[in-house]
Amino acid sequence: MVLKSNIEEATKSLYGAKQRTILALFGIIVGIGSVIAMVSIGTIVEAESLRQFKDMGTDILSIQKGYGGGANKTITLKDAVNTPFNCPSIATVAPYIQSGLSTWYSGKKVFGPCMGVTGAFQDLNKIGVKEGRFISDLDAFAYFCVLGDERAAKLSSLGLHEPVGKKLKIGDHIFTVVGVLERLPGGGGMRPHGINDSVLIPIKTATRIVENAEISNIVARMMPGFHNTTAQAQITDYFSNKVRGPEVEVRSAEELIEQMEKQMKLFTLLLGAVGSISLIVGGVGVMNVMLVSVAERRKEIGIRRALGAKRKDIQSQFLVESMILSLVGGFFGICMGVSASYIIAHFSKWQFMISYMAILLGFGVSSAVGVFFGFYPARQASRLDPIAALRSE
Amino acid sequence: MLKLSDIRKTYKIGPVDVEVLKGVSLEVEKGELLSVMGTSGCGKSTLMNIVGMLDKPSSGTHLLEGREVGNLSDNEISSIRNNKIGFVFQAFYLLPKLTSLENVGVPLIYRGTKKSEIRRRSHEFLKKVGMDDRAHHRPNELSGGQQQRVAIARALAGKPSIILADEPTGALDTQVGKDIMKLFVDLNEEAGITVIIITHDPKIAKQCNRSVRMQDGVIIDD
Repeated sequence: MVLKSNIEEATKSLYGAKQRTILALFGIIVGIGSVIAMVSIGTIVEAESLRQFKDMGTDILSIQKGYGGGANKTITLKDAVNTPFNCPSIATVAPYIQSGLSTWYSGKKVFGPCMGVTGAFQDLNKIGVKEGRFISDLDAFAYFCVLGDERAAKLSSLGLHEPVGKKLKIGDHIFTVVGVLERLPGGGGMRPHGINDSVLIPIKTATRIVENAEISNIVARMMPGFHNTTAQAQITDYFSNKVRGPEVEVRSAEELIEQMEKQMKLFTLLLGAVGSISLIVGGVGVMNVMLVSVAERRKEIGIRRALGAKRKDIQSQFLVESMILSLVGGFFGICMGVSASYIIAHFSKWQFMISYMAILLGFGVSSAVGVFFGFYPARQASRLDPIAALRSE
Repeated sequence: MLKLSDIRKTYKIGPVDVEVLKGVSLEVEKGELLSVMGTSGCGKSTLMNIVGMLDKPSSGTHLLEGREVGNLSDNEISSIRNNKIGFVFQAFYLLPKLTSLENVGVPLIYRGTKKSEIRRRSHEFLKKVGMDDRAHHRPNELSGGQQQRVAIARALAGKPSIILADEPTGALDTQVGKDIMKLFVDLNEEAGITVIIITHDPKIAKQCNRSVRMQDGVIIDD
């Protein structure tokens, strides 16, 4: 009953001192808003960077020639392709060769990478084909090529429209375009860098036309049910002991995701801490308003005490007031924070998502602010000497 | 009902101890209409604060309905103040943002009385002091006499053992003051409510069936 009437009283009192209430609310709204916005953005960025990994699957490994012992040895195509037969934990592999061979069309040069790939490259990297087909293992040494989305656009500006079936020059050789790829989401993840801007040719052709052609990277997919450490051990063993190739480094998507998640958590925490500073300022605002409210209502406190209010009744009256202030501020702060993160996500082309954790945090934090910064003024109110309070003007 | 024996109260003002009450003994029976008279500074307000348990005596015993209330905790004292004592102040002390009806109900809130019951009781006592037609007015829309009537209704609403009135007519003009005094006399005669009125006005003291005079922190005439 006392609580209910305290809530009524508090609402009336806050409504009565509109200007002061609005100012205190403003502080809280900005405070909670910035915490929410920061945490949401942190979560959105985290999800965004993880998505790059996750859309390829978490069972992907990247095998790279190491810089340690056996640097003069190379990974041969045969050894690479034979990996799944020697490592039970590996399902498929896609070795590739990277080179800087330029593409020429109607006498003009187009810069960008050229990759020698196998047929498995498409499936492993989840690449979609817009027109024509992908490179096949049956292409063997043929002079066929497939264009990345960006590369196709560049060539199109040189007059190569509907490129499938048309011819262009890569290095010193004439290639026939057999397909155009769909655009891949940019940056990050386990996917080899720059596919959009590349021209892809059969790996065997690459070994023939690229000077010092060397397989430096292999993308691999694990068999279901194996742990990445097992796979890593098998691969390392295979390359250094069985085929006496170079030392290799194996990185798993899972590992990278874990690392990234850790980093992102730290990042989110940091952003939250930055937001918290404004929240503290907002909380001090609440405390200030509550202290003024207590000072202004000394007489009222005296009257209530004379009429039989206990100290805790007075304390809860003011505590309820600061709680209401903070929770209302918290509500609008959450709205503001969510809309701010929406706007930022929109302009950064990130996929927006509401972080329920952040909202929960917002309500938790705002009620904590209410209690924490309201406690001192409320206690002060409850400790007033009733006689002195009655006599005050 | 109320028994004070050898109450002393000392205030520390800076380095000096000032003894405001120098051994006051007073006994009040149920149903009495008592006035405490004296010039300002004689200690009558301090005495009222002690009787109203807003203040504690430095020494002496203070029995209310046979129970020693001198050493109770703040919580217990608040609860006794809420249940046993009704205050009427010179400056009315109504809460400015509440209506008459809500003002009368304030003491009941702290007892945990139900809202509907508070409303009913508040109306009942506003009617008793002739103010029910102003139930939804705020204090600043009422005259001094009307405000004091609401304050009296508030003091009555808790059905206290004692009503303590500190200069209840002090801020009112003569005619209105007379009406308020008549209300106290009527309440005392009809309902048998114990009333202690603090005043410096002999005319008011005359209307009470017992009058106590104080001077310099002691009772000089009973």
